[in-house]
Amino acid sequence: MAEFTLPKNSEYKNTKGKEHKASTEAKNKKSFSVYRWSPDDDENPRLDNYEIDLDKCGPMVLDALIYIKNNIDPTLTFRRSCREGICGSCAMNIDGTNTLACTKAIDECDSKKDVQITPLPHRPVVKDLVPDLNDMYAQYASVEPWLKADSPAPQRERLQSPEDADRLNGHDGHGPAMCILCYCCTTSCPSYWWNGDKYLGPSTLLQASRWIDDTRDEATGERLDDLEDPFKLYRCHTIMNCTSTCPKGLNPAKEIANIKKKIAERQH
Amino acid sequence: MKSCCNKKHEEIRSPLGKARGLGSSKSGFAHWWSQRITALALIPLSIWLLINIQYMFATSHVQATTWLGQPMNAVGVILFIWLSFYHALLGIEVVIQDYVPKKSSKTIGLLFARFFFVLLGFMSAYAVLQTNFGVDNISFVLDDMHDFPISSK
Repeated sequence: MAEFTLPKNSEYKNTKGKEHKASTEAKNKKSFSVYRWSPDDDENPRLDNYEIDLDKCGPMVLDALIYIKNNIDPTLTFRRSCREGICGSCAMNIDGTNTLACTKAIDECDSKKDVQITPLPHRPVVKDLVPDLNDMYAQYASVEPWLKADSPAPQRERLQSPEDADRLNGHDGHGPAMCILCYCCTTSCPSYWWNGDKYLGPSTLLQASRWIDDTRDEATGERLDDLEDPFKLYRCHTIMNCTSTCPKGLNPAKEIANIKKKIAERQH
Repeated sequence: MKSCCNKKHEEIRSPLGKARGLGSSKSGFAHWWSQRITALALIPLSIWLLINIQYMFATSHVQATTWLGQPMNAVGVILFIWLSFYHALLGIEVVIQDYVPKKSSKTIGLLFARFFFVLLGFMSAYAVLQTNFGVDNISFVLDDMHDFPISSK
């Protein structure tokens, strides 16, 4: 349901945040404006500015955040785990685009401006850069992302041709099975912003498409039945933010089109 | 910390329960498909109509109505009216569903849109038919219908 009013203490009112300057000896300096909000006080969000010495920090935006947490401000809160773009934990909005902090190089950011880091958009914030993604995980669970087959299990694994596996993995490694569920795409989708309670969003639909096209799965029709709905699927208006923001280079918009195509196919 | 009793119903419900909601309506394809088909059909129809309207600016009223009096032209214009209004209705319905959050306003909006476009469509189609058959002829046809046993009962 589209909601155009914000909850209490969630609006950014251009409040001046804290400034942290790097030492005067630092030669290679860069500033990061980081979104700060805590549920423990009654304050509105602010952007704190951290100037850091890049010579003391790794090359990625996540390295800068870890540097800030370790050396400047231990209260800064963010999720991270693998630091190599495979766990999807450090998804956040960097310079206006949803991406993974661990695979986004500081060099790639606008050199003339401070790097602006905010949480994934249009989600409730737990603290600082940590958004609440529980509803999205539940939507993912609702498409039953596991193999469903009535045929008795063979002695060994259920077989699939290399071509069929290629459809899932992608011949270039960018197939739907490569999704790491970071939700950069879903939180970039305006249609999901307005109707996220009913629309499943690009990430979940990409996963649904992955199971629909799995040749070992025997519940294709049932999966299509469950998706054919004006809100669950057809709220996708091919805005394509999902595809342009995916940090793994996947194409959720094409996967949603695949589901629509499959539903059309069985009508004719 | 709020106690559970102060929480709204939706907050207590499990995320999976919320995600599943009322389940799939098992519809939506026809709406989506019709919007695309009407868009496709409107491409040649719009080009044809635009070319003809362009000529009509330089002609008199009589010449314009004579053009509309040709059977194929009348059929083309009625098709254009029907398809463009239908296409617009489908689009407006999606916009209302997208942006009107309140359930009652949404339902009223959807109903109003449907009534509005059906009314507009019939009025436009009537205007074309009237140009073709004339007011008297139309009245004559309607009068005639009263004599049919089925319509009089």
